[in-house]
Amino acid sequence: MDSQSYLPVPPGVGMEENFLSLDDILLSHERLPSRTECLFPRLGYLEKSTDSQDIQEGTKMELPLWLAKGLYERKRRVVSIELPKVYREGWRTVFNADPTVVDLHKMGPYYYGLGSQMLHFDSPENPEIAQALLQTFIGRFRRTMDSSQNAYNEDTSALVDRLDSLERDCQPTLLCPFYEFLPRFCK
Amino acid sequence: MDPTEVEFLAEKEIVKIIPNFSLDKIYLIGGDLGPFNPGLPVQVPVWLALNLKQRQKCRILPPQWMDVDKLEEVREMERKEDSFTPPPSPYYMELTKLLLNHASDNIPKADEIRTLVKDIWDTRIAKLRLSADSFISQQEAHAKLDNLTLMEINTTRSFLLGSLNCMFKLRSNMQPGTSTGKGPDY
Repeated sequence: MDSQSYLPVPPGVGMEENFLSLDDILLSHERLPSRTECLFPRLGYLEKSTDSQDIQEGTKMELPLWLAKGLYERKRRVVSIELPKVYREGWRTVFNADPTVVDLHKMGPYYYGLGSQMLHFDSPENPEIAQALLQTFIGRFRRTMDSSQNAYNEDTSALVDRLDSLERDCQPTLLCPFYEFLPRFCK
Repeated sequence: MDPTEVEFLAEKEIVKIIPNFSLDKIYLIGGDLGPFNPGLPVQVPVWLALNLKQRQKCRILPPQWMDVDKLEEVREMERKEDSFTPPPSPYYMELTKLLLNHASDNIPKADEIRTLVKDIWDTRIAKLRLSADSFISQQEAHAKLDNLTLMEINTTRSFLLGSLNCMFKLRSNMQPGTSTGKGPDY
């Protein structure tokens, strides 16, 4: 049995993030396209494209998730966040049609995690986003199951590369002993 | 759970051997064994049988179910039914592997038996995967599978539980604010 003295903190459930989870910390580095709704005085040095001293109202910037979550407030409009394109209508239709063909690792290795966090920003499309995440996971379940159970002695990096980090967490780490068992059985 | 642990548990099964030595009854914590008389069959657990065989002190008799005709029947029934049929033995996979690796000279038609057991295993695992797939894709809450052996359960246990955890996380997105059960406080 695996008795570890170091138990990593798992990523949070749904819309919550675990403060000490490394996965969630890395997730919060993802950048979101956003637009400022008010003036940020004397913060012009953060924005490399213009030379002004302040960040003007209506500037389009890319903010990391941790900053966007901290600044976002429903009543006082400080920033407004746009959905990254993978969560928009176009890509949602692709996922509805066939979730298995998409390389989720390329779409940002934290597709499911970031999607869950986007629900904080009260977009009108929230129910559709949540539904799309769940259906994508279910659609890809068969493929991830097949790739995890046929891993013996083959280079499955081509399959594993296309998996999101949540799906990779589902892969069991104890697979190798079983598949050493099987060839001894088959001799 | 490790496959080697399942194998360890399988070694408790009873098998018949014919020793070539003699020994009085031995009293172990788990039960009594013997007495051993040369030429007379005696029932012992598999771990002892394998040990004696490796020291060339006995001959192992194949278990009742390890017979080509019986296994062919089991295989045909397994292929016909959609649900799981009762397996030849609750540890058929491990016992086949252990007995055929160490005592194949005592078991007639060892290669055919190996192929038949592998076919039965493949059919059952395919049914298990189909069942897991439909369980997840229809988002059922409850499933019941009869007649599974420990080794088969072991192959899917961690993956299925991991995926169900992930599904729970994604499903809880759909009801924001109702997830009042907060996790451990980090």
